[in-house]
Amino acid sequence: MGRADQASGAFWFIFSVFISYESYHLGLGSLHQPGPGSFFFLTGIVTALLSLTILLRSLKMRAPEETKAAAFEKRGVAKIIPVLLSLFLYAMLMERLGFLIVTLLLFIFLLRIIEKKKWWLTILVSLIVTAISYLIFELGLQSQLPKGILDFLSF
Amino acid sequence: MDIFQGVIYGFQVACQPINLMYCFFGVLIGTLVGVLPGLGPAAAIALLLPTTFKVAPVSATIMLAGIYYGAMYGGSTTSILVNIPGEAASVVTCLDGYQMAQKGRAGPALGIAAFGSFIAGTFAVIALTFVGPLVCNLALAFGPPEYFALMVVGITVLTYLSSGSMTKALTMAGVGLILSGVGMDTISGKYRFTFNIRSLLDGIGIVPMAMGLFGISEVLLNLETEIKRDILTARVKNLFPSLKDWGESIWAIVRGSILGFFLGILPGGGAVIASFSSYAIEKKISKHPEAFGKGAIQGVAGPEAANNAGAGSSFIPLLTLGIPANPVMAILLGALMIHGLQPGPLLMQTAPELFWGTIVSMYIGNGMLLVLNLPLIPIWVKVLKIPYYLLYPLILLFCMIGAYSLENSVAHITLMLTFGILGFLMKKFGYEGAPMILAMVLGQRLETAFRRSLIMSHGDFSIFVTRPISLGFLMTAALLLIIPIITQRKKLSTLKEE
Repeated sequence: MGRADQASGAFWFIFSVFISYESYHLGLGSLHQPGPGSFFFLTGIVTALLSLTILLRSLKMRAPEETKAAAFEKRGVAKIIPVLLSLFLYAMLMERLGFLIVTLLLFIFLLRIIEKKKWWLTILVSLIVTAISYLIFELGLQSQLPKGILDFLSF
Repeated sequence: MDIFQGVIYGFQVACQPINLMYCFFGVLIGTLVGVLPGLGPAAAIALLLPTTFKVAPVSATIMLAGIYYGAMYGGSTTSILVNIPGEAASVVTCLDGYQMAQKGRAGPALGIAAFGSFIAGTFAVIALTFVGPLVCNLALAFGPPEYFALMVVGITVLTYLSSGSMTKALTMAGVGLILSGVGMDTISGKYRFTFNIRSLLDGIGIVPMAMGLFGISEVLLNLETEIKRDILTARVKNLFPSLKDWGESIWAIVRGSILGFFLGILPGGGAVIASFSSYAIEKKISKHPEAFGKGAIQGVAGPEAANNAGAGSSFIPLLTLGIPANPVMAILLGALMIHGLQPGPLLMQTAPELFWGTIVSMYIGNGMLLVLNLPLIPIWVKVLKIPYYLLYPLILLFCMIGAYSLENSVAHITLMLTFGILGFLMKKFGYEGAPMILAMVLGQRLETAFRRSLIMSHGDFSIFVTRPISLGFLMTAALLLIIPIITQRKKLSTLKEE
């Protein structure tokens, strides 16, 4: 995994060096009275050494046949990014619009836009899932899902 | 309270109708999760944890434990019928189980898997009843250095057993430890690594992290590669294995039970490694090793017994030492702490109803699973026919609701999605999530034990190696770290010679 390991090794190396730096400023204390940064200062150094090993090893042995392990398929990424965006949007709008509306919208988006199912199937499944999940979680398990703009409908 | 009294007390707790009901729900959901590929017990327990906030800790633990060992049963069904392991511990069951199904022996394969699981599960629970209190008494003598050393071994074993590169697994353990430091330092009261982000002040929750790493990331991976399944269309008949089948597999079950039990206790061990080891042993001692991979019934019976025994015994380190043996136990530990319990050697005294109630509920749960599993197999086969375009939106929705209802806050959803993306990238780049989550759960206690030990010894590091128990643990860890380096050197030198 030559290239992939170089990138990930470098990433974790920078991350752990940064943590050690932060921990140093938190205060290492003394050996008698270890401070809040002591443990993570050491952990950061060890992790930095480990990630450096990953990085150096990948530089040393380039195995071209293994690089495909980290390859991203274009078609896959084209599907993953909109799904992720819809989930973040769901989280952002959840409290404003309320659980019922966002869930309905999420399912319509996933089934119609991403999976390209027929409209009647999309609407039917979305309505059923929204209703049943509301029944189970809100009425059955009493999780307090946000009502949002449907707050006036106190059912 | 001695063991005998404990068990009786446990039965009184576990047989309360409400607890029986939660036990039933637990094993049912567990089997379902085991059947469904792409949703493992770790994600399922994390998902369902918020639904237990309103019930008593005992009932909650009984249900969550049921999900774990229930999933071990369910996982075998998909392995045998469609060659897709429902969860990691059933991967080896595919080898011979699916071959048996191809030869029209799906019935006996499913049957022996269920009976083997039942026998091993029951054996593990009985052994747990006796070994648990013993370990508790031993652990009462542990001080901070021993705990520190024990946790170091736990993390090391898990990284040693990880399937990929050990350096990468150790790096992930390091990252997990660092993540556990986010939030307030319990000794000094200082905030660490929060970068003025409000939702990080309370630290990173284990549950949204687990849902992200094991739930969301799994969906993302599956979105990229379309899952193709060929469903077995033939009817499943003759679930009861014949006398000949029993004769061939009974010793495999016995060996699998014992092996699984011991591997399950080991920190870092558990069901997955138990099933692989059992398969290897059965193949090695068999008179017909060539039959393995072509539908040998021992290749189903042994690993299935081993993974159930391992699932049962991995509760021992959690309930007695407060140290989780694997990621699922790590989430369960998080669950117990959310319910205000501190697992450890004192749990047996401070919360006997939980300790004994949970153990005894596993006897009952194993019985329920046997009854539940065989007649319900046709239903599980139908569940498998749910197309993935319906399944993944549902998994995503449950994750979203689960994360939100932890504290009715959107911040947990964001955290979960972040870990989902991280988990996806980690898998792409060949890193595993398990060491990270275990280190993350143990992190705070590891740090406290480390700092307390140094305070105890007035800053002398030798405290970790002058106490015999702690020295023993640390030497085990060192050995596990050295072995791969030596074997790798050998591999490298042989490569160069070629």
